[in-house]
Amino acid sequence: MKIRARLFGTLGQRFQDYNPDKGLAVEIPDGAKIKDLLVHLEISDADGVFVAVNNRVAEADQELNEGAVVQILQRASGG
Amino acid sequence: MKFLKVNMTSKNVSIEDVPQEYVGLGGRGLTSIMINNEVAPKCDPLGPENKLIFAPGTLTGTSLVNTSRISIGAKSPLTGGIKESNAGGTVGAALGKLGITAIIIEGAAPEGDLSNLIIDAGGNATLESAGDYKGMRTYALVEKLLQAYGEKNGVLCIGPAGEYQLSSASIQTSDVDGRPCRAAGRGGLGAVMGAKGIKAIVVSQQGKNADAINDPEAFKEAAKTFAKIIKENPFTGQMLGAVGTAGLVSAVNALGAFPSYNATKGVFDGWEKISGEAMAKTIQERGGQTTHLGCSQCIIHCSNEYVDKDGKYTTASLEYETIWSMGGMTGIDDLDIIAKLDYLADDIGLDTMNTGVAIGVAMDAGHKEFGDGQAAIEMMEEIAQGSELGKIIGNGPEAVGKHFNHHRIPVAKHQSIAAYDPRGMQGNGVTYATSPMGADHTAGNLVGAYLGGALNPTAAEGQVEASKKSQIAMASLDCTGLCLLAGTVLADPAANEALLKLINAKYGSRLGPDDVAAMGVRVLKAELDFNRKAGFTKEDDRLARFFYEEPLPPHDKVFLISDEELDKTFDF
Repeated sequence: MKIRARLFGTLGQRFQDYNPDKGLAVEIPDGAKIKDLLVHLEISDADGVFVAVNNRVAEADQELNEGAVVQILQRASGG
Repeated sequence: MKFLKVNMTSKNVSIEDVPQEYVGLGGRGLTSIMINNEVAPKCDPLGPENKLIFAPGTLTGTSLVNTSRISIGAKSPLTGGIKESNAGGTVGAALGKLGITAIIIEGAAPEGDLSNLIIDAGGNATLESAGDYKGMRTYALVEKLLQAYGEKNGVLCIGPAGEYQLSSASIQTSDVDGRPCRAAGRGGLGAVMGAKGIKAIVVSQQGKNADAINDPEAFKEAAKTFAKIIKENPFTGQMLGAVGTAGLVSAVNALGAFPSYNATKGVFDGWEKISGEAMAKTIQERGGQTTHLGCSQCIIHCSNEYVDKDGKYTTASLEYETIWSMGGMTGIDDLDIIAKLDYLADDIGLDTMNTGVAIGVAMDAGHKEFGDGQAAIEMMEEIAQGSELGKIIGNGPEAVGKHFNHHRIPVAKHQSIAAYDPRGMQGNGVTYATSPMGADHTAGNLVGAYLGGALNPTAAEGQVEASKKSQIAMASLDCTGLCLLAGTVLADPAANEALLKLINAKYGSRLGPDDVAAMGVRVLKAELDFNRKAGFTKEDDRLARFFYEEPLPPHDKVFLISDEELDKTFDF
């Protein structure tokens, strides 16, 4: 299935020509979960990220659907 | 270790050794404990009985990175309770290097009499007439002061809002470029400075009389460890330098807790236009600085220089809370307008949060449309001119709500909330309600716990305990002079250990981890005690009514924590 991954913070810098307005078009197997997508993008726990799907924070075990827009954000504190 | 005491009634300036009861205290610990000991709780905050105290942290002035915070304390004209607001910039470190533990301003000058306090490289202080600087906005003021006294000075000052003694008036501090763009914004402390009759405090950055370190080698080693942890942490070492605190715009919108359109929605329609990523891209394209040294000895560089379409300086630094208050709450999705509003707030000497929320309340009440950037700029200019409406807006959201007879006023203890809605982040609501400071995110912010998945932000369970722990930790951190962002690495036990070693190496003490938490409890106890004596009751530890009655989209939750639970927060 095809989904779109939008990367925030410094994550976009890892992908050449990353366009923040469009995000990354990603093709992953049907039934893939958020954690599978992170592995696919080589993003690990050490990167301190959390994920939101269609503007809602989601768990790593959540299954993704065709056409989902997945926001991958960096954890932050303070401000 | 010395106190610089300035009596504005007699115009007497004196230097004395720090009395034994205050030895070892710094930052918020010193300001709050001293206010509780020495200020009459029921006094007029704008009268001669109040004291205005400037205290660098216990580690400020040392070689440790990111320790340039200065705590400013007084009885607040906004909340009516005790207040500590801290700021970065250069003055904290400058005072530390002069060996000045605190500047204590007492009494009050006759109305209309304005002075500058000048502190030279030898730590000698004099009061000089500030008649020529009366009414001046802060950018012009600091430029003139640095011309007169030299660029190697740091400045604390007020703008017109402080001279009018408005409840949202800030005390601005100069950054490393000599711009008054850092603020102790909260609680109207600029009004207290105006009431004392002080326009500016100019502090030499060339002091060479910092307090001696008891064990310099141990200090150096632990300081190196602490700096390494900051550099290697993804948040402090990478993200903050890339997108600044504005990186929180996307994160908090993802949580549905970004108070928008005067706290009627939890996701801002145009959040991607005002996100940290959008800001960094705009600055980069225009030739500004996405990362920038703002405060002395900083290695995080969360600051930025926002420039206009022609590459000309607009403001520094555009921060998350300001983007929220001047953007999210007002419905303005144009970063250029938000940057202009930020500049105006610094220049007039206003808390961007209390003022942005006041503008949002005015818009919600129908005074102007949400999203009307020009109207927001005009409201800021009204404050600067001191018009009747300007003074109402400059006195904050509650004054605006009363004026327009509007019920939705997002405050606790009369102070505006910050950029985390208590219905989308219930624990931050506990902090807003129970903090002796009034609604204040820096008193105990749980956003890190929510984003890390450690706590469910919209459930009632666990919020009181988490807020309590965070408030104790912050009260302790605020004593050290470390910036809050550097303080986030203290979640790492190695950083905690290093901090403890630093404190012990400086003072020759043998404090353990429990003693650090005990310091936070001691500070909070002093603050709660002052507020009780000032007349605060449990009924003051509540949020504005609408937070309990109006569900916030997208989660459609109200604030869920019962009064009984709130009252258990401080069980000491």
